[in-house]
Amino acid sequence: MSTADIATRTTDVMTPTVARKHRGVLEEVWHNFKKNRLSLAGGVIVMVFIVIAVFAPLLSPYNPVEQFDAPPGEHHPLPPLSRSKEGTFFLFGSDKFGRDILSRAFYGTRTLLQIAISSITIAFVLGVFMGAVAGYWKGSWVDELIMRAVDVMLSFPTLVLAIALLGAFGIGKTHIGPITLSNMFKIAIVIAITYSPRFARVMRGVVLQEMSEDYVDAAKVAGGSGWQILAREILINTIPPLIVQGSLMMATTVLTSASLSFLGLGLQPPRPSLGIMLNESRDFLFLKAWWYPLVPGVFILLIILGFNLLGDGLRDSLDPRQARRTRG
Amino acid sequence: MKSQLLKVRDLVTRFYTEEGVVRAVDGNSFHLGAEETLGIVGESGSGKTVTGLSIMGLIENPGRVESGSILFQGEELLEKTPQEMLRLRGKEIAMVFQDPMNSLNPTLKVGEQIARVLHFHTPLSRREAKRRVVELLRQVEIPEPEKRIGNYPYQLSGGMRQRVLIAMAISCNPAMLILDEPTTALDVTIEAQLFELVDKLKAEFGIGIILITHDLAVIANSCDRVIVMYAGRIVEEAPVVELYDNPLHPYTRGLLESIPQLDKEGQKRLPSIPGEVPELITLPKGCNFSPRCKYVMDRCIQDDPPLMEIAPGRKSACWKAGEFGE
Amino acid sequence: MGIYILKRLLLAIPTLLAASIIIFMLIHLAPGGPVRVMLGPAQDAALVEKLRHQLGLDLPLHEQYLRWIDKALHGDLGISVTIQRGASVTELLAQRYATTLELAFLSTVIALLIAIPTGITSALHQNKLADHISRIVAMLGVSIPNFFLGIMMILIVGVFLHQPWGTGGFVPLHKSVRENLIRMLLPSLALGTAYSAIIMRMLRSSMLDVMSQDYVRTARAMGIGWGSIVRQDIVKNALIPVITVIGNSIGYLLGGSIVTETIFRLPGVGGLVITGVFRRDFPVIQGIVLTIVVIRIAVNLLVDILYSIIDPRIRYGEEGK
Repeated sequence: MSTADIATRTTDVMTPTVARKHRGVLEEVWHNFKKNRLSLAGGVIVMVFIVIAVFAPLLSPYNPVEQFDAPPGEHHPLPPLSRSKEGTFFLFGSDKFGRDILSRAFYGTRTLLQIAISSITIAFVLGVFMGAVAGYWKGSWVDELIMRAVDVMLSFPTLVLAIALLGAFGIGKTHIGPITLSNMFKIAIVIAITYSPRFARVMRGVVLQEMSEDYVDAAKVAGGSGWQILAREILINTIPPLIVQGSLMMATTVLTSASLSFLGLGLQPPRPSLGIMLNESRDFLFLKAWWYPLVPGVFILLIILGFNLLGDGLRDSLDPRQARRTRG
Repeated sequence: MKSQLLKVRDLVTRFYTEEGVVRAVDGNSFHLGAEETLGIVGESGSGKTVTGLSIMGLIENPGRVESGSILFQGEELLEKTPQEMLRLRGKEIAMVFQDPMNSLNPTLKVGEQIARVLHFHTPLSRREAKRRVVELLRQVEIPEPEKRIGNYPYQLSGGMRQRVLIAMAISCNPAMLILDEPTTALDVTIEAQLFELVDKLKAEFGIGIILITHDLAVIANSCDRVIVMYAGRIVEEAPVVELYDNPLHPYTRGLLESIPQLDKEGQKRLPSIPGEVPELITLPKGCNFSPRCKYVMDRCIQDDPPLMEIAPGRKSACWKAGEFGE
Repeated sequence: MGIYILKRLLLAIPTLLAASIIIFMLIHLAPGGPVRVMLGPAQDAALVEKLRHQLGLDLPLHEQYLRWIDKALHGDLGISVTIQRGASVTELLAQRYATTLELAFLSTVIALLIAIPTGITSALHQNKLADHISRIVAMLGVSIPNFFLGIMMILIVGVFLHQPWGTGGFVPLHKSVRENLIRMLLPSLALGTAYSAIIMRMLRSSMLDVMSQDYVRTARAMGIGWGSIVRQDIVKNALIPVITVIGNSIGYLLGGSIVTETIFRLPGVGGLVITGVFRRDFPVIQGIVLTIVVIRIAVNLLVDILYSIIDPRIRYGEEGK
């Protein structure tokens, strides 16, 4: 290194990132979220569907399982904007049993999000814990063990694993000794098991990356009670990539849950489920009942899209490469 | 007076970023003659690399060469079409960038990469090109050149990659060579070899060289003339010996003072220039260096000093320039 | 490089073994034991015992496992208990795998045909209209569930456009290549759309990455024509990570085939596993899951080897200064 460098303090003038370092982690995430149009759009979509899910009972015009079987002569499924002979108005049409598709779609959103959120939460907790432990004690037998286990789990394609597990546990309520697991909970657990290895891997990667940062070495040199603070600093810095991953995995989890329902392995009828609605619609395609698959399909599509936009948008703005400029 | 290979006048290059307008090169003028080595010294962000890129026509969005004139061999470069510049680059003017580690295509053999340059600028056949490549590698003192042309970049050390890049640059006998921090990524010993090589090439082919660096030692060893850049502006220009003997700008003085001297007894702290380089988006009114200058006067804060000729061949952008001298 | 391959192989084997243990344990996870599940809860205890003995389920677990693995290594994946009583699972799978692998192959071809030109163009015209449109379409492609897409395709092509090949069904290759391919078109599209979106985004990102690399700058500084730069510097280097994506997508393809085959009524492995689940045919389920895992691990290994050949950096090891 030349003497001129030691003498003068050089800052990379053209990369104005100095100001950023002073914001808290969560503020940074929020700021990036607002700045990026993609993530904003995704966030809005997700919020809309969460509202639908939470307020489904209030928003649905009818009871989702109520069958408006009309007197003979009525042919369900009815198209959107039609009325049954008794006068029930179907905004999105009716399904094969004369149930209101709109209401079923709303309640279906609710069950789908319930499963997705609970499974992601479990997967997150499990995976993040394992990943953090593995990363922190990198190179030790704990790390090896956990990562081998992760490798094994990841050698199963997600849907295949979920199906195999559900196949083993059976469909419907499961009784393990004195504990009765509701179907929904069981599905959530199965999906959680399928996805936690991915979280573990991501978390470990992030932890390793953080640990190789200079501030960690500095803190280690400082020593003393630095450990607690250090651990907390590392963990705090792992939050943004975890949020990104979480969002993107929500998208896949939703897809997997919907696929499982579609295949008949999810919630059982007559519980409203977007996947089941799509399955039912298959028998009525030849009748040109286009609304039957379209409505639940678009709902699922938009939910997944929302989470993808959110995760993607956040990832793009948190990417340090965005700060690349030409050097002087 | 040696023929003027390059004459730059009032060059302005700016970058339009989200955070503001970066005045990377702020109205600079300088010249280069054949067989001459001009050093451009300054710290990161002073605008030296951008100057080189501007000459090469490699400034891209969000950057733009706003105004000025770049006369190369009498022709105005800023008026050339992209196609014309393409033909010029690599053939008449060549630039070698800092950090050779990633500057070669990892999936192409080294020989092929040099041959590609020849293919675009010369009518040589494949066989002739291959011979020329071997000859070039020999000229840049890479051992066993016939074997090396079949190597991939990752089989070569940093110093060797740097030589390959130089081989590429001189392959078509350019009239001018711009070297950007050629030694930052290399050991001191390799550094010495490199400059020997450059001197040899200069003598043999009469190339004019612009050497961009932040390293004062390198300047001292290999340049004929020097220009010092600070925050996008040239603050001093001088022949090399005179610059070291009697710098006429506080910034240059500061830089030279901070070189540790073996003979200065009792030197407890290495003198350094206080403060930090300003962001090129928010430059101070008046002299850019005034916030850090120990000779600062009221006038400096109000009036921005232009680059003035203090003596023949000596220029300085300081109101106090005439007063320096020992 | 040989050491690299050997290392990967040695890592793959224990992974495979551990996975096989999990698969084996699957049937024993079911509460009440596999036989109970197969026959239903209210069954005569003696019948249950008989069936248990018949299936070798009364032996100690590790013995059962060893038997199963030993048979599997010899190509015997057991006997189907409910779907096709007495039939060899291996035979069942063999025919069906042909269909599924054909689907996977065609989906990949379609995905690449769409993704590669789009990804390259998108990156070269970054932030222009073509790029924005491609990215939006790719976003949709990634987000649309393949069963929804498949059903809508059947609706539009099969029902509204009255095309008979649009309603699913399968014609084996040896009967008619034309019929086979035309009926595979929609399923491959359905499965390949999300796939192509993923590849396209990956390629675009990789291209942008490469475009900002020093060696591209070098080529430009040397006056090399843009066409040559795009071909030899940018695309050549950008495609490398894409190969990994393709190789690792075999899992996605096999999983996705489950749904796609169900919708389009294709006689593949995916459809069979669902039937197996509903009919509680454990040997079938185990056989399918085992073969899927083996294929996946094998393909990952091949991709790693391929990658190391293509990327000279790994081939020669990184030699720094």
